[in-house]
Amino acid sequence: MSTLVVGLGNPILGDDGAGWRIAEAVACRLPIQSGCVTEAGQSYSPEDQSVSVECLGVGGLSLMEHMIGYDRAILVDTILTGKHATGTIYCFPLHELPDLKTGHLSSTHDTTLQNALQVGQSMGAVLPDEITIVAVEARCVYDFSDELTPPVATAVPIAVKMIMELLK
Amino acid sequence: MSTRITIDPITRLEGHGRIEIFLNEEGNVANTYFQIPELRGFERFCVGRPVEEMPLLTNRICGVCPEAHHMAAAKAADAVYHVEPPRTGKLLRELLYSGFYFTDHTTHFYALAGPDFVMGPTAPVAERNILGVIHKVGLEIGGKVIQARKYGHHIVEIIGGRKVHPCTSIPGGLTKGITEEQRVEIEQMGHWAIEFAQFSLQLFSDIVLGNKEYLDLILGDIYTHQTYSIGLVDENNKVNFYDGKVSVVAPDGERIGKYAPNEYTDWIAERVEPWTYLKFPYLKKVGWKGFVDGKDSGVYFATPLSRLNASDGMTTPIAQEQYEKFYATLGGKPVHQRLAIHWARLIELLYAAERIVELATDPEITSPNFHTVPTATPTEGVGIVEAPRGTLTHHYKTDERGILTEVNLIVGTTNNYAPISMSINKAARSLIHNGSVVTEGMLNMVEMAFRAYDPCFGCATHSLPGQMPLEVTIRDANGETVEVLRQHC
Repeated sequence: MSTLVVGLGNPILGDDGAGWRIAEAVACRLPIQSGCVTEAGQSYSPEDQSVSVECLGVGGLSLMEHMIGYDRAILVDTILTGKHATGTIYCFPLHELPDLKTGHLSSTHDTTLQNALQVGQSMGAVLPDEITIVAVEARCVYDFSDELTPPVATAVPIAVKMIMELLK
Repeated sequence: MSTRITIDPITRLEGHGRIEIFLNEEGNVANTYFQIPELRGFERFCVGRPVEEMPLLTNRICGVCPEAHHMAAAKAADAVYHVEPPRTGKLLRELLYSGFYFTDHTTHFYALAGPDFVMGPTAPVAERNILGVIHKVGLEIGGKVIQARKYGHHIVEIIGGRKVHPCTSIPGGLTKGITEEQRVEIEQMGHWAIEFAQFSLQLFSDIVLGNKEYLDLILGDIYTHQTYSIGLVDENNKVNFYDGKVSVVAPDGERIGKYAPNEYTDWIAERVEPWTYLKFPYLKKVGWKGFVDGKDSGVYFATPLSRLNASDGMTTPIAQEQYEKFYATLGGKPVHQRLAIHWARLIELLYAAERIVELATDPEITSPNFHTVPTATPTEGVGIVEAPRGTLTHHYKTDERGILTEVNLIVGTTNNYAPISMSINKAARSLIHNGSVVTEGMLNMVEMAFRAYDPCFGCATHSLPGQMPLEVTIRDANGETVEVLRQHC
């Protein structure tokens, strides 16, 4: 099984950078195989599965295009539900997404990820059967900063551990 | 008692824009406000960093047009170091940029604008998206859109080192060139791109221009504003996305001047309004007269349409033919019907595609002379490119070590804040009368007023001194505050 882990967000927009931090930490925990996949990612291939890690600031069609060819995707992002404490970690399948607002999974400048996935499927693209979202409740995503707020920073290693469990 | 209608969040718009429409007791539009919680403090974030980091940092401002920020930052950094990239360096940057334009304009037409015209502005929202377009016009077109995006991204990757966030432009040029094999590959993609752009123009002609209802909508008064047009032009006043001077053309078509990047502060000033933190740029030489049309009002717009209005034509042959057809069809220059921005965008798509082939077949494009080593002491510089959604200006000041001391950005969409606000207001007044039932389709037609500008407020940031909580004040028809929104940050 091939799996793509995508850290989403903006690394210089405060808590919005949490997706990248988590994905980068996941990449560091993977045994290094030859070559990097993208700017912040790397891949490895144990006997029965391969894992690639990417850090992106895209959504919609672009995100869909990055997932082509993978069996499974784990999307890591921040989320603003306002219902739970900052730093709360969520893990849910993509089809549960419409109830929640995120900044990147449904980039509105092209189309929503759900629409983009349908477009890809219509075109015959091979897309993941299983898309899981790991999201951290954020607080500060409107100020430029390369630092996370303390509750979000605390959540990063916990989310990393959660993703490593998913990858087992 | 006034009634408030809120469109929030704005469908298919990056960022978190909000439109407020206030109705008076008679049920007519009393006023409209278009408000954007802006991102804050980018300039402050940059101060203290080396200027050569800016092409990498600024393309992180927003995920929609990182290539535009990369280029404007690189040009500003060239100016700071008083260094001119060699010809091959400029050609390569423009080639990368043409690939980016090809992707961006394709996406806008098929994913954002297309649904309004192909499905119709009053179609159910569930159908009014790219999926609806594909189902209506055929899977083949969907495949072409995906292919177009793939090629555009690939050109960016070959020259820029990465697919989305390029990293090769530095003060004085680029860190790498391209091989003959890569040149051939880009040229082949360029030929495909020209065919695709022509196909897209034909599609627009068949579906939009061939439909009287849509044509009436485009040519009607609802979406028309008489404002100044600006756009980057070369030495022959032809459209150029990467280099040149900014041409300024009056509503009657008279060119009142052109300004070089380092002269922008002589031409552009910014208006502050009490109801939003985002500023409204206007032409300093004309002056701010409010949100009004006309030659005496300094309001200008910066879009594909304004670029055509501000120029004397295109440098590539097929795009020039389309340029002439455009003005012949719409009654001569300048064109003020804002929905014609969609058509102008497709002409630019064709120009970008033709430019890819022109640049990829230039004898010097594979030369290893793509960088000039800066030797002068860095001081201050301005870089301007045309972002797909408007003129993009980066202005940096540094100390003698090249460490940033001041940064100012005027991003593409910010230029259009005043005309977008005016377009929303006019569309709302034209469509909502005497308490008529406000339908989803009607609200979408109000949204269409600003969607033509392809706005993206994700990067519409500006320097804010000290700590300033973001709050948006909503007023009723009498100017009384009825609600205050705050970002919890």
